[in-house]
Amino acid sequence: MITPNTQTGANISKQPLTVKDLHVENPRWCVGCGDFGIVMSLKRFMVDQQIDPAHTVNVSGIGCSGRAPNYINTYGVHAIHGRPITIALGLALARPDLNIFVHSGDGDALSIGGNHYIHGINKNFKCVFLLYDNEMYALTKDQTSPTTRKGRATMTQPTGTYLEPLNAVGMCLGLGASFIASSADWMPDHMASTIAAAYAHKGFAVIHISQRCPHFDPDNFDHKSTSWFAFLKHANGIPPDKRLADKTEFVEHDPSNIEEAFKLAIDPKRYFGLFYCNPNKPSYDDIMRNLTKNAKPKPRSEILNHYRLV
Amino acid sequence: MAVAAGVENKKELRHVTRFELLMDAGFGAQKAGDILVMTFAKMGKYVYIEPMIPAEISPPPRTRPALSGVIMRLADFDITNIGNDTDLILAAHEIVLERRLDDEETNVNCQIILDMTDKEANPESYERVCKRISKMGYKFYPFDVDAEAKAVLTKLGGKGKNIFYLGMLSNIYNVPKELMIDEIKIVFGKKLKEDVLNQNLLLFEHGYNCADINVPLSFDVAAKPRPTEKILIDGNTSLSMGIIDAGIKLFSGYPITPASTIMHTLAKVFPSYGGIVHQAEDEIAAIGVAIGSYFGGVPAVTCTSGPGLSLKQEFIGFATAAEIPIIIIDAQRAGPSTGMPTKTEQSDLPAVIFGSHGDNVKVVISVANVIDCFYAPQMARYLAEKLRLPVFIMTDFQTANSYKVIEMLKVNEIDDVDDIPDFVFERFHIRRLPDHIEMVRTSQASPGTPGAMRRVTGLNTDASGSVNYFHGTHHRSHQIRNEKIHHVRRALTKPEMFGPDKAEVLVIGWGSTRGAIEEAINNCVKEGISAAGMHLRIVYPLPLMLIEIFANYKRVVTVELAYGDELKPSPLAMLLRTETLVDVKPMISRATGRPIRPRIIKEKIQELLRQ
Repeated sequence: MITPNTQTGANISKQPLTVKDLHVENPRWCVGCGDFGIVMSLKRFMVDQQIDPAHTVNVSGIGCSGRAPNYINTYGVHAIHGRPITIALGLALARPDLNIFVHSGDGDALSIGGNHYIHGINKNFKCVFLLYDNEMYALTKDQTSPTTRKGRATMTQPTGTYLEPLNAVGMCLGLGASFIASSADWMPDHMASTIAAAYAHKGFAVIHISQRCPHFDPDNFDHKSTSWFAFLKHANGIPPDKRLADKTEFVEHDPSNIEEAFKLAIDPKRYFGLFYCNPNKPSYDDIMRNLTKNAKPKPRSEILNHYRLV
Repeated sequence: MAVAAGVENKKELRHVTRFELLMDAGFGAQKAGDILVMTFAKMGKYVYIEPMIPAEISPPPRTRPALSGVIMRLADFDITNIGNDTDLILAAHEIVLERRLDDEETNVNCQIILDMTDKEANPESYERVCKRISKMGYKFYPFDVDAEAKAVLTKLGGKGKNIFYLGMLSNIYNVPKELMIDEIKIVFGKKLKEDVLNQNLLLFEHGYNCADINVPLSFDVAAKPRPTEKILIDGNTSLSMGIIDAGIKLFSGYPITPASTIMHTLAKVFPSYGGIVHQAEDEIAAIGVAIGSYFGGVPAVTCTSGPGLSLKQEFIGFATAAEIPIIIIDAQRAGPSTGMPTKTEQSDLPAVIFGSHGDNVKVVISVANVIDCFYAPQMARYLAEKLRLPVFIMTDFQTANSYKVIEMLKVNEIDDVDDIPDFVFERFHIRRLPDHIEMVRTSQASPGTPGAMRRVTGLNTDASGSVNYFHGTHHRSHQIRNEKIHHVRRALTKPEMFGPDKAEVLVIGWGSTRGAIEEAINNCVKEGISAAGMHLRIVYPLPLMLIEIFANYKRVVTVELAYGDELKPSPLAMLLRTETLVDVKPMISRATGRPIRPRIIKEKIQELLRQ
C-alpha cells in the first residue's frame, strides 16, 4: 500500500540539518563547472532555513543540470528530457506538503521542454524553477542551444550560431510569470538569497542562472570582471551579492514594475536580481485543491446509482 | 429470428432484432439514441447500442461524411455484442442510407424506411438509391413528412426531426407513447423552453401517425421481468466510475477521441470523491503529471488513444526504469497516425506491448465489456503498485461508446490494493502475486518518509539507487524487471473458454471481440460445428499453459480487428506464435473500423473446416 506521508514540510529531525547531511556522492561534473555552485547554494539555503530533506523533492530533466538531484540528499526525480515540469506539477497537485525544486537547462527548458515551460509559468503552481543557462548543450558535447550567442561556432553550427539567442527572462515576463529573478553560479551569497526569495513566493518562481561551462565555452561569463552586469536593488528585491557588492554597479528597480522589467530584460547589459514579482497571481495547484475541498462530498458506495434503471 | 410469420400490420414478436436510425450530424441522432436506449431498457428489454459518429463535428448535411446514427440491438436475453446485421433502417435521406448500405451490414430481409422530404434536392440521386434498394430485394417504405409537421420543423430551424423519427420508431417497436414522451421530457425538459418542448412533442405525435400511415410494420421483443437492480452504462462511463472505485485520486489527460469522455465524466464528479482532474498541455505532460503523482504515493491514471500513445512512450519507459507505478488507458481507434478517430480497431497491441525503447516491460489488461471497464482500474492499480511498472488498460472505440444494460455492480471502495476482493482477480483470470517482489532498488520509499530520501532516474542504477554503468549491474536490472513480468505469467490462470475442451478449431480473441466470439461459438455448439473459443483479458504477459490448451485443438486461429494477411500475421497471432511456437493463423484480421459480427466468425470457422 502506498500511503502518502502528509506531515508538514518543517524539519522534524531533532538534529539540525547540516550541509554534510545533504551530501550523497561527489558530482560527476567537470572541474570548474558552474553546476557545483548552484547545488551548493541550494544546500546552503536548505541549511539556513532548516528545510526538511524528507519533504523536499528535486526534479530535473536531461543534461548536465539534470544530474543535480542525484547529488542532493532529498527525494529526487531525474526524469526525461524537457519534462521535469510535468513531474513537478504531479507532485504539487498530489502532495502540497512537499517543497519542490526543478532543475532544468536552457536546452531542457527552452527547447525540447518549451511547451511545459510556457504552461508551468501560466499555471503558476508552487515550485522553485532553477534554469541553468550555460547557453549551449554541454552533455551532448557542444551544440547550439536556444540561448547560444549569435556567431559562436558549435558542433552543429560550425560557421557560427545563426540566430540571435532567445530571451529567457523576457519570455517569462511575456508569459505572465509571477516571479522571475536572475543570478549566477559564481555568486553563492546572491544565489542563496535568490532561492530564499523564490521559495517564499507562492507560485512558479523562475530563477534564470548564468552558468559557466569551462569545458566547452571557457570565455563566456567573465566571472573575474563585474563591468558587464549590474545588480537590481530594491527594498522588496534581492540583496546584491556580498562579495561583489562593492565593485558592481546597482540599478534601482521596483519588482512590481513590469514595464521597467521588460526594458531591463531586453537591455544588452545583464542584470542580476529580482525582475518581477506578483504575489497575487492565483496558483493552479491551489485552485485544483480548492475544487476538491469545496465540492460536496459523495459516498463512493453510491457511484453507480445515477445509472440505475428506475 | 422470427417467431410468428411476418404478416404486415400484425405485431411480430422477435427474440432479437437490430435496427438503425441514420441522420446528418448535428440533428440529434445521438440524443434520439439515448432516449431509445433508456426507454427500451426501462421496459425490461435487453439492449446494446453502438453510436456511429463522424470524426468531425457537423460536416455539411446531405453528404456521406455527415452520417451520424445509432445501431440498436434489442433482445429478450442478455446480449454481448452489436450482432450480425440490420433488420430495419430509418434514414433521413438517401445519402446517409447509401453510405450505410455500402457497409454491407444489412439482413437479406431488411426493411428500409426512407424520408423523401429532401427528394427535390436531388431527384436523380433518390431515384438511383431507390432502384438499388429494389434491386437488393429489400422491402421499401418511403414516406413524406406531413405539411403541419414540416411547418413546425421550419419554425424550429430544422431541429426536431429526431423526435419525429422517435415517434415513428415508437410506433414500429410498440413502445407505449407515454413512456417515450416521459423520456423525452427527462432528456429535454430542463434544456428546452416549454413551447419548444411542446413543439417537439407535437412532432413526436406526427411521427407516430406517419408510421401508422406509411409503415405497416410492427415488431416487439418480449420484456423480461427484472427482479434484480439493473444499470445502463457505456464503457467510458464505467471506466470513469471504476477509477473512482479503485481509489485513484488523480486523473491527468489531454483531449483525444475516443478517450476524452472519460475526462468529461470525471471532470463533473471527481472532486466530490476527493479526486483531481488535470487537463494537461499535451499528451506527454499528461503522463508526466500522473507519474509525478504516483511517485508522491498518490494513485494516478492517464488516458489516451493512438497518437497520444505514441507521444507517451518515452515516459512509459521512464516509469519502468524508475520503478514508478503508472496506469495508462488506451482507448483504441483506427490507425496508423490520425487514422479514423471514431472507428474501432485493435492494432495498438504491438505498440503497447513492445513500445518504448530498450527492453521495456509492462502489463497489458484488456476490457471486453462495461463490467470489465468498471473493475479494470482496480486490477491495474494492484499490478502497477505491486510491480512498480506501467500497466495498460486497453479498450477501444466500440467498448468505449456502447451502452448496455447490466446487473448493478458491486462497488468495492478500494483504498488499499490488498483489499481488492477475489472476484476481481477471477474476472481477469489471475491469482494474487507473491508477497515479496524484488525491485531494482531496495528502497521504494515515498517522499515524506523521514530518513529514507532517495532519487530515481532513468539511468541504470544499482540496488542502492546510485547511477551505475557496470555491465553486471545493468544486466541485473533487466533480470529483475523481467522477473516482475514472470511473476504475472505464473499467476495467470486458464483464460476464459467457450465451447468444448477438444475440437477442430480454437478461435482466440481479446478485448471487445469477446461478445461476438462467445455468440458465434454458442451457435457452433448448437449446430454441431466442432469449434471452441478463448478470450484473453490480460494480453501481456500470456499464461504459461497455452501450449497445453492448444494441443487439444487441430487448428488455432485468431479473430482480430487489426490488419493481417498471409505474409504478415495480425498482432495477436504474431504474439501467440512467438510465445507457443504453435502455427496460429489469423482467421479474421480485418481492420475496417467496424465491429466483428458473430455470423462471420461462424462462417469462417465452417470455411476452415471445409479446407
